Amino acid sequence: MDQPQLRTLEATCIQEESPQCSAACPIHIDVRAFMGCLAKEDWRGARRVLDRTMPFADIVGRICDEPCRRACKRAETGDPLAVGSLERFCVTTVPMVLKQPRLPAKGGSVAVIGSGLSAMTAALDLARKGRNVVMMTGDEEVGGSLRGYAEEILPARVLSGAVETLDSYGVNIQFGWSLNKEFFDIVRQDSDAVFFDRDCAGLASLPVDCTHPDPLTLAVGNDGCFAGGGTTENGFSIMKQVEDGRRAALSIERYLQKVSLTAQREREGACPTRLHTVTIGIESLKEVQPADPSTGFTQQESAREASRCIQCECMECVKQCAFLQEFKDYPKRLVRKIYNNQAIVQGTRTANKMINSCMLCGQCTVICPHDFPMATVCRSTRENMVAKSTMPPSAHEFALQDMEFSLGEFSAMTRHQPGRDSSRFLFYPGCQLAGSAPFAVEQTYLHLTGHLAGGVGLMLGCCGIPAHWSGRQELFNQTMQSFQAEVNRLGDPLIITACSSCYAVFKEFAPELQVQSLWQILDRMELPERKTAIPPQPMTIHDPCTVRHDPEIRASVRNIIKKLGISIEEQPYSGELTDCCGYGGLMQFANVPLGEKAARAKGLRSDLDGLAYCAMCRDNIAASGRRIAHLLDYLFPAAEQEDPLLRPNPGFSRRHENRARLKQHLLNTLWHEEPVMTPDYKSIKLFIPPQVMELMNTRHILEDDIQKVIFQAEQTGKRLVDPENGHFLASFKPVRVTYWVEYQPDKQGYIVHNAYSHRMILPGDAK
Amino acid sequence: MSNFSFISETEWRCGCCNKELQPRKVNVEYMGSVFNVELMVCPVCGFVLVPEDLALGKMLEVEQLLEDK
Repeated sequence: MDQPQLRTLEATCIQEESPQCSAACPIHIDVRAFMGCLAKEDWRGARRVLDRTMPFADIVGRICDEPCRRACKRAETGDPLAVGSLERFCVTTVPMVLKQPRLPAKGGSVAVIGSGLSAMTAALDLARKGRNVVMMTGDEEVGGSLRGYAEEILPARVLSGAVETLDSYGVNIQFGWSLNKEFFDIVRQDSDAVFFDRDCAGLASLPVDCTHPDPLTLAVGNDGCFAGGGTTENGFSIMKQVEDGRRAALSIERYLQKVSLTAQREREGACPTRLHTVTIGIESLKEVQPADPSTGFTQQESAREASRCIQCECMECVKQCAFLQEFKDYPKRLVRKIYNNQAIVQGTRTANKMINSCMLCGQCTVICPHDFPMATVCRSTRENMVAKSTMPPSAHEFALQDMEFSLGEFSAMTRHQPGRDSSRFLFYPGCQLAGSAPFAVEQTYLHLTGHLAGGVGLMLGCCGIPAHWSGRQELFNQTMQSFQAEVNRLGDPLIITACSSCYAVFKEFAPELQVQSLWQILDRMELPERKTAIPPQPMTIHDPCTVRHDPEIRASVRNIIKKLGISIEEQPYSGELTDCCGYGGLMQFANVPLGEKAARAKGLRSDLDGLAYCAMCRDNIAASGRRIAHLLDYLFPAAEQEDPLLRPNPGFSRRHENRARLKQHLLNTLWHEEPVMTPDYKSIKLFIPPQVMELMNTRHILEDDIQKVIFQAEQTGKRLVDPENGHFLASFKPVRVTYWVEYQPDKQGYIVHNAYSHRMILPGDAK
Repeated sequence: MSNFSFISETEWRCGCCNKELQPRKVNVEYMGSVFNVELMVCPVCGFVLVPEDLALGKMLEVEQLLEDK
């Protein structure tokens, strides 16, 4: 990611865009912050928000014509906020908190003609910037049309307070001028720039036409004259006076600095905003009415009214994603952290964990009104980290070893249908289904061979998606090439995938191969005769994240479920919006506790029993304690008739074992081939109590690893012993991780009491 | 982690040499960084004990720190 890419990405996330109210306010008062302060009864904080942006807050806060109210999102569910009344409450009860500083004098003299609110604003803004300002008016007081307000709304003393304010910034106010040509000549001679407030009698007698100022700059002509304010076709708007005064002051400042009057002024005045705020589900609330309308809001009423503000923001992706919630940030900020992380040469890369925790599932992109590509950013960053050797070795090693095992001699195999030498079809169940439900793989295969003509080959293996997710592009490419070569060798049959991740990978990275989902095939086929009782209650479907963009597969699954007679209640976050179970992007390996959270969150989308058609979704949600079955459990129920909803998560060791046994079993029963020789250490028989097994799963330790440790210890005698209880403690480092096992010999094998590991290399270890 | 001591009384004895473990300074290494730490070691064969709390505590912490460097 380079700087321009970062900027483009940052601009895609709209969380930091202005809320509708501030965008609609001609001077962009932070109405949301103002409401936030009032709601928590921080009266001075609320006043500070006004003082920061609003000129003459004591005046404007009393009479603001609240253009923001028309834009308020609260109106979608209740009444819009009573912003004007709250401003009035604030400025009438809290004196000024923040007095803006006056910058050092920097020359340039400006004449402000008139004394209405736009003249006052222009004079104040320019004086604050250090300009020498003379306000000249035919009137005897400041305020222009504001003097027409009733005393109870805008007391005369408050309005005349503006004179003191202007004085304090050094504005020279001159009342009682006659506006005529001589006056104009004097003004032009003495000043570098002039602002004409159109809320001022007598302007017509001057030799300058103030009726059509340029809408962007308010320039009239090009000799430093500007005009604004007054009554327009839309009437006399208070905020229009303020806006014009401020806009003119900025133009004059640019004019005096001899820089462009027009560049980058799009966001001045009311402007559009891209902020996207969903108000669905927010309780509708009516505007709070002051008990005594003549005195306006009390403190309590103000706080109540302001607390109706929904504090507009987007956060739509964060609301749904366990990963974004965990890192408490939205994509714009995360992408900046990723960029900074990449830029570190020496020092700690604190964002590694975050980058490796994204499920790469694309849910946020579907939710985002601007399709922020969080998964693409995280995955390509991982690829970059691998290329630069900054990827933490421990993040994905366990998952990659699992993939290696699935592709290795003990699990992988490719065969034509028994008794045939060609295949029109190739069943590809995927590594996780073979690991989770080997019986279902066998039964599905037999069903396919019985119903499809032309030969159905079988391939057990792994599509390589763990390599892709972990940024190991070279490994992934090799895996894909071997897969393609194998498919070619079989005569390019149509591949039938049971796993939607495999399906997505083949579709994207081997588009020349013919691939269909098992569900599409089964949907067009006679279904097996059902032998399992269908649950009486409706179930909910947990779509896997990898079918997010495959409505046809989702439809086929629902057809099959219907044919089975299972009733379904859809949950709101299914289909295109579905969550990942935590396996996606290898999140559950790089961040074990977060993986558990993600699975739990997906499982909790519905109170109903779940039905999954991805083996990892099934197992992860089952591990989180929910009742969930795999669709194949109902299509091809296991002989022992266990309730599919109660099938436990097999865990990593059992998955290995299941894959190896599946291969042996199929080779033996269908192809009548000799089993593959197993290594010596497999002769170690283990007894592992459930709590130790759970520990091993979380710690990513396999039964295989334990067997290797004990085999080695028993062969060499190198082990520690506790004379008290006769337990042994031994360690072994098969590749990079050193495993420690506390065990005890038993008549038939070894009881495992504990297992842990570390990556630090001890003296005498191979490096 | 360098120059830290992680010695503590232990029930474990070396099963091979039938000796009590004794504190020894040893070098442990990860990702090119070497740390000289005091651990419980068999005085005869040099078997080094890494107890569970060390492996899952300080050692893991340092491993992860080094991986993010």
